Amino acid sequence: MENTIRTLRAEKGWSQQQLADLLDVSRQSVNAIETGKYDPSLPLAFAIARLFERQIEDIFDDGRRAAE
Amino acid sequence: MIRPKGFRAANKRYLMIFVPMMALYCAALIFAMTFIDMKTASAAARTGAALGVSLPLAAILWSIMRLVRETDEYTRLRQLQALSEAGVMLTALVFVLGFMERFNVIPDIPLFLFGPAFFFLYGFAHVRQILGKTV
Repeated sequence: MENTIRTLRAEKGWSQQQLADLLDVSRQSVNAIETGKYDPSLPLAFAIARLFERQIEDIFDDGRRAAE
Repeated sequence: MIRPKGFRAANKRYLMIFVPMMALYCAALIFAMTFIDMKTASAAARTGAALGVSLPLAAILWSIMRLVRETDEYTRLRQLQALSEAGVMLTALVFVLGFMERFNVIPDIPLFLFGPAFFFLYGFAHVRQILGKTV
């Protein structure tokens, strides 16, 4: 699944480690999510969305919205 | 049921067990090998030495399982993958070496060596993950 976390993180000026600390996950987790290697669970996706003050759909794209 | 506590709290709780237990294991092993003659020591001394070395390792294994339960979801996934890979590889090794023993191809192997073998394979699985490889 694609996401805009790297862009949003850059806008805030946060490093991967800073974002990881805010979410209470490992830096490797943030990196894996950003690179699309790992899709977060719904609770973590909500936590990310809340942190960036966005809707989940604004951050994560499963590639189906274009088809709709 | 223990609920996830997040990466930092889980790591802290893990290290609170791992560090003293590893120190205790090393101290017990050095003490047993230096001061206890396994041929002449009493059964109680030999039992104490064996438990002194093995129980800290059991505690470390338990702390790994607790870390898996409590840590963040991605770390849990990686840990479970490493643990399962190590378990599968060790089981395969046990079958191969076990049958070679049974068919008198190789001499008997001390059972406790499969413990260090598990930790080695667990580490090996983690290295494979870092390199982006899976079974």
